[in-house]
Amino acid sequence: MRRLLKLALLKPELAATLLLLLLVLFFQIKSNMIFLTYDNLRGMLGFLPEVGLVAVGVTLLMICGEFDLSVGSVFALMPMTMAVLMVADWGFWPATGVGLLLSAFIGFLNGWITIKFEIPSFITTLGMLFMARSLTVVVSGGFPPRLNMDNIPEHLFISYVGPYDMFRASFLWFVGVALVVGFLLAKTNFGNWVRATGGFLPAAEAMGIPTNKVKIICFMICSVLAGFAGLIQVLRLGSPLPSIGEGMELQAVAAAVIGGTSLYGGIGSVLGGIIGAMLIRVIDNGMVMAQVNSNWFKFAVGALTIFAVVGNSWLRKRGRAMKVETKQ
Amino acid sequence: MTKLKSLMFAAILSTVSTAALAADPLDIAFTVHSGASNTFWQAVQKGYEDACAKVAATCQMVYVQTDGSAQEQVANMEAAIARKPTALITSIVDNTAFDDVIKRARDAGIIVIASNVDDLEGAAGNARQAFIGQGFVPAGYSLGKAQSANFPKEGPIRVLMGVSAPGQNWSEARAKGVLNFMDDYIKANPDRDIKYERIDSGTDLAVVSDRVGAYLLAHPDTNAYFDTGFWHAGVARVLADRKIAPGKVLLGGFDLVPEVLEQMKAGYVQVQVDQQPYMQGFMPVMEIYLAKTAGLAPSDIDTGQGIVTPDMVDGIMEKSAMGIR
Repeated sequence: MRRLLKLALLKPELAATLLLLLLVLFFQIKSNMIFLTYDNLRGMLGFLPEVGLVAVGVTLLMICGEFDLSVGSVFALMPMTMAVLMVADWGFWPATGVGLLLSAFIGFLNGWITIKFEIPSFITTLGMLFMARSLTVVVSGGFPPRLNMDNIPEHLFISYVGPYDMFRASFLWFVGVALVVGFLLAKTNFGNWVRATGGFLPAAEAMGIPTNKVKIICFMICSVLAGFAGLIQVLRLGSPLPSIGEGMELQAVAAAVIGGTSLYGGIGSVLGGIIGAMLIRVIDNGMVMAQVNSNWFKFAVGALTIFAVVGNSWLRKRGRAMKVETKQ
Repeated sequence: MTKLKSLMFAAILSTVSTAALAADPLDIAFTVHSGASNTFWQAVQKGYEDACAKVAATCQMVYVQTDGSAQEQVANMEAAIARKPTALITSIVDNTAFDDVIKRARDAGIIVIASNVDDLEGAAGNARQAFIGQGFVPAGYSLGKAQSANFPKEGPIRVLMGVSAPGQNWSEARAKGVLNFMDDYIKANPDRDIKYERIDSGTDLAVVSDRVGAYLLAHPDTNAYFDTGFWHAGVARVLADRKIAPGKVLLGGFDLVPEVLEQMKAGYVQVQVDQQPYMQGFMPVMEIYLAKTAGLAPSDIDTGQGIVTPDMVDGIMEKSAMGIR
């Protein structure tokens, strides 16, 4: 039992999970039991895949020891590219393919520049944040093109599915992607390489791990997931506005950190990133429900970020300090 | 002979005016508080560039990187003034932050015209020479008044006011206008139970739809939602998802963008206020041209509190595709 408790305390996402449960309970009571109603859950689950997919990519990259601040801009650029191509009579799939390839290319550029010129990814991707956002405006000419929803297979992305139409199809994509990335991280050599690269780079290089390739692949996965998430949001809202995703990069980093991902790399989990993203959504939504003065929204997210990280650190220290008998 | 004289006169006049323009071309900078990705501003920019082309002015539109950042905008204004342009057009989203830089521009002989957003104290607030844009408080009042025609004729009324950017003049002033109307409406209907609430609704379609969607669940008796921008288009999607019929929750806001026009056609948005952004870009350049060439003093222009209703949408959509509305 003690051994199980120690293992649980060492899990990076534990503090965030506990906090999430407490907040859900708090908002459920404060909102006169409306928070967990069908309509509200359905609304939140419709939004979650979009922030969740970005958080998954950012978490993976942070475990690998790097940052990507350009995700919010790629989130807008990918669907804008797709929409502009569709207006020029391209089919949905080729236009989406080009958009995703562009996202992958931006991820590649982020990784390549960071490694080749040995500069912090914080700087590379900060530059890319501005460049990709600017490209979004240039591509659209400032005026968002109108999407003809008749040419889009909505059932594959945004239609409601599942029991009582509880989820959108995007939720299934999100779960699928999270499972694949989680599996990659936990059960494959690639996952070990990612942790080793982010945990202690010189040792990883000494062991012969192709750290540069690992980093570039993580950058590309992160960027493609951001682009894909943007596509889902645009299909859901029916509107490729060039301003979507602004500020999302900081939310995604906050989600990863709240979920227990270390800013120094090597530690973290996909589940933690998802729980972090859920926490932010729950706070935002719950505060409206609980009729808390909305001027306090950002304060709450900030305070909870600090609280979750301090909680994580404390729980892990307790876990490490806990003595467990080892069998001879 | 008379014909020949006329032709010669016309040729000389055209040469002189072209030479005058070429000798002293207008150099105009337009600094705004928005990022380039805000669709609304692209129509302002189009008006501005079209006007510049008409008077052969050298023009530059300068956006900020962080939406709503007054300090970034002030820095852009400083940079623009440093190259001593003929005129500076700017939005004034804060009552004090721009006072000093505008005064220095005026002292340096630069014409300064406010566009889109003005100091809440108007001409008394700083040294700008004219304001071309919407009177936000009256526009908010007009919106509230127009939408009130669709309020239930009896029983209680609950209204939600979404403030898109708390603390920014444009958003606060529009909200104030709507709420001023609501106060008057309450006074005019003393026997009815009428309430309103303010919310920080945000400037992202997804966030606004989530927040307002949550509010509507917590308060299913809500009759109307007003937005200080165009983000209630996202709320319309939420209502459609929840299979709530158009008109059950009345929606209204500001500015004509394609998403709002589509939701007006669908019946979810009943009233919208148009501030004619193209005019806000076009007219300041014309006033600067007249000030330099004819010595006419720049003067205020109210670009409109035009109420747009669903029956007007088709005609507007054509103009919208041209980037004019």
